Amino acid sequence: MKTMAEELFKEFREHSVSEFFRKNAAMLGYTGKIRSLTTIVHEGVTNSIDAAEETGVLPKISVMIKRVNDEPEHFRIVVEDNASGIPREYIPNVFGKMLAGTKLHRYMQSRGQQGIGVSGSVMFGQITSGKPATVTTSTGKGEIVRADVMIDVDRNEGKILNEEKFKGKWQGTRVEIEAKGVSYMRSRYGPFNYLRMTAISNPHVHITFVEPDGTLTVFENATDKVPERPKPMPLHPWGIMSDDLLILAKHTKGRNVVNFLSAELSRVSKRKAEEVCKLADVPPNKKPSQLTWEEAERIVSAFKQVKLYAPPTSGLRPIGAADIESGMRQILNPEFVYAINRPPKVYRGGLPFIVEVGVAYGGSAGKMTEGKGENEEGETGMELIRFANRAPLIFDQGGCAITTAMRSIDWRRYGVDSATAPLTLFVNVASAYVPYTSAGKQSIADEPEVLDEVRTAIMEAARELRRFLYRKIKTKERQERAGVFEKYLPIIAQKAARLAGVKEPDIKPLLKKVAGVENGEEEN
Amino acid sequence: MAKKKIKMTRERGHRQRASGKLIEMGKEVVSDIEKVHPPKLKMPSRSTSNIIYDEAHRYFVLGPRYGLRSAGSMKQVKKFAQLLCTADFAKELIERGKFATLREMYYTAEGWDAGPFSDQGESDLIIEDLEATCGLKREDLGLTPEEDGAAVFGKLVVNEDGVVIDATKAGRAGYTIPPTIDDVEFLKCKAKRVIAIETMGMYHRFVQEQAWKKFDALVVGLKGQAARATRRFLKRAHDELGLPVYLFTDGDPFGFHIAMVVISGSAKLAYINHELAVPDAQFLGVTASDIIDYKLPTDKLRELDVARLKQLLKDPRYNTKFWQSEIKKMLELGKKAEQQAFSKYGLAYVVKEYLPAKLGLKS
Repeated sequence: MKTMAEELFKEFREHSVSEFFRKNAAMLGYTGKIRSLTTIVHEGVTNSIDAAEETGVLPKISVMIKRVNDEPEHFRIVVEDNASGIPREYIPNVFGKMLAGTKLHRYMQSRGQQGIGVSGSVMFGQITSGKPATVTTSTGKGEIVRADVMIDVDRNEGKILNEEKFKGKWQGTRVEIEAKGVSYMRSRYGPFNYLRMTAISNPHVHITFVEPDGTLTVFENATDKVPERPKPMPLHPWGIMSDDLLILAKHTKGRNVVNFLSAELSRVSKRKAEEVCKLADVPPNKKPSQLTWEEAERIVSAFKQVKLYAPPTSGLRPIGAADIESGMRQILNPEFVYAINRPPKVYRGGLPFIVEVGVAYGGSAGKMTEGKGENEEGETGMELIRFANRAPLIFDQGGCAITTAMRSIDWRRYGVDSATAPLTLFVNVASAYVPYTSAGKQSIADEPEVLDEVRTAIMEAARELRRFLYRKIKTKERQERAGVFEKYLPIIAQKAARLAGVKEPDIKPLLKKVAGVENGEEEN
Repeated sequence: MAKKKIKMTRERGHRQRASGKLIEMGKEVVSDIEKVHPPKLKMPSRSTSNIIYDEAHRYFVLGPRYGLRSAGSMKQVKKFAQLLCTADFAKELIERGKFATLREMYYTAEGWDAGPFSDQGESDLIIEDLEATCGLKREDLGLTPEEDGAAVFGKLVVNEDGVVIDATKAGRAGYTIPPTIDDVEFLKCKAKRVIAIETMGMYHRFVQEQAWKKFDALVVGLKGQAARATRRFLKRAHDELGLPVYLFTDGDPFGFHIAMVVISGSAKLAYINHELAVPDAQFLGVTASDIIDYKLPTDKLRELDVARLKQLLKDPRYNTKFWQSEIKKMLELGKKAEQQAFSKYGLAYVVKEYLPAKLGLKS
């Protein structure tokens, strides 16, 4: 499977970046009016969280979407963080040069998926509104820089148009992008839900969100512990494709193919590399940069014929049951929350992954919109929120293995009416090798082992939910029962006394006895 | 509807008895509460499987099965409370000598802590529960149906609330049997028999032709299926006045059944049939044989009639030689006839010829 970054990398030397962008906008997440807006928010927020984590501070992100000139499809998107800030000289590259990010050649379980990052948003804004992005940043040394950044599409370079510097005590970065042809909605696909899901899967992140109508929502962080950063790891041969290999080959320091393979890939020794070269009929001392597509293909298939150690599972960075629970508790305010974190499993013979599942019941669980507007109020139903490496998967829900797994479960067996239950089901698949169905990276492929594991994990969490629901019903029944007797027994005592013409008997001892006992006799 | 203003003129003991039963019920419940036992009331099961035809008494009775209504059951405690509210309401009616209709009782319950009833059916069921629990008729509890009974014409003098009424002098329509017939005292009776008639048309014919005089009879109009009050009247006339009761209905399955309900009671009221059924009452006609013997004008049996007749054949109440042969005969004939069919021979024929023959009183 090709990943976006590699596609991009090959392409951009041959075409202009803007042409490339137009051609591939859909794959980059810029498709549809709502989705494009969500993607802009996503790129900004992802960058911000990553930056803050790398800085070692608790991410505090604020997002604001404002309508421009009251035009229906014209918005200004502002994302601000409290990270290290960006030194003046890097601004053009960070925001203005596509494919210049630091993530391109790092294979880790990364949150940022498209690789194209925030410069894609700048590009999108530029080609839809004609306006540059405005970046305000400070490294906290008393000087704040504000600059308008545009992408010079011919040279794939960031250009600073206006720039001003002023004094101020602040650290962080604020990016403002103007885009046209996008629309704002509080739907499942909109920025609101994206941020809500992000807040759940990243309980250490504090998010403030202002919607176009001025509604302010604060997603408070539930923990103040910055999670461990995933470590960059070399790719394992089982998880690579020909183009991955070619891209690696272009950047390697290895002088020949054997050196290259053993240096850049996980679990590949010199001896294995030689064995593979032989099998693939590739000269072992060929210069890596001169590998052809066909040779790359042969190497990839040769790797399947040799014995290798499976990739190490140590690089897996699950969120953890406790953090999922606190994230859900914080954002959904549920009556009940439970999360599990399963041991690592492998698919395709050795690619490791971890499935984590959380269930939240009651509160605003199952209510995506938290009752904004009259129509949406009180509408509940089972809600599935999907994540891959903490990143919300918002689109392509129908084609996702997580959805398939969730639907294959008979929820009535767990006491859940999926049509009405105030229930949010959280599923995160953590892996450096998430098997996405497509380059859009919004759904997970039906790999049998992954599907099976997700299903098992959901059922495990659902069993705990069932126990909770059962207790809940029992308690409710007991209360109802007591209520019924409290209402009618005194009437019986009063009327019986009147009939008999005697003093009313004290009903309290009987009430106490009866309100807890099981059903009385029925007709025999 | 205003409550009927009735001054009790006579206590025949039935209301005293009812009141006593209610007091007893209250005492039982109070005693249970004091002993910290959930109060329970035993009531005969009224489910169809517990309704039995009593061959000896010749009417439906309730079988030996009992149900317990327990105030300790979550499902039953509300009904239990409603039952006691109803009992309390009834006791008040009894003490004040008043009556309330079932409908009034249903609305009264709107004001109860244990109410209201969701519909009158529910409130009627509670009343039936109370009747069955105490073995009392609702009339004894001061609760009456909406409709009056039918009419009686003949040499009978009654005392109704201090008003002395002669059933020959109560107008052409005769004396109207009130729902509270049990409060009425029979003062004098010179009649020797009771003839109960299905249709009011035929009743009026009997009055006009002075059949009451001719046969020394109390002529009773049933108005179709007999109301409880009418049946109670027939029962009392038979038991207290020692009069034989004769029934004259249309010659069709529905006429047969009107007669049979007077004789053997209905299954639905099995718990109270001992107060209503007149097992010795005799069916005069119109029989299938009459249709043949008198060459009566007929109608064809409809499909419904045939089905009903076949049903009656299997009904234990019709398990006598007479009924079995008459029903089979009617099925063979495929014909039915109304009481009025005798008019073929002149309006007075039924009184002059038919009845005397049937009663064995050929003049």
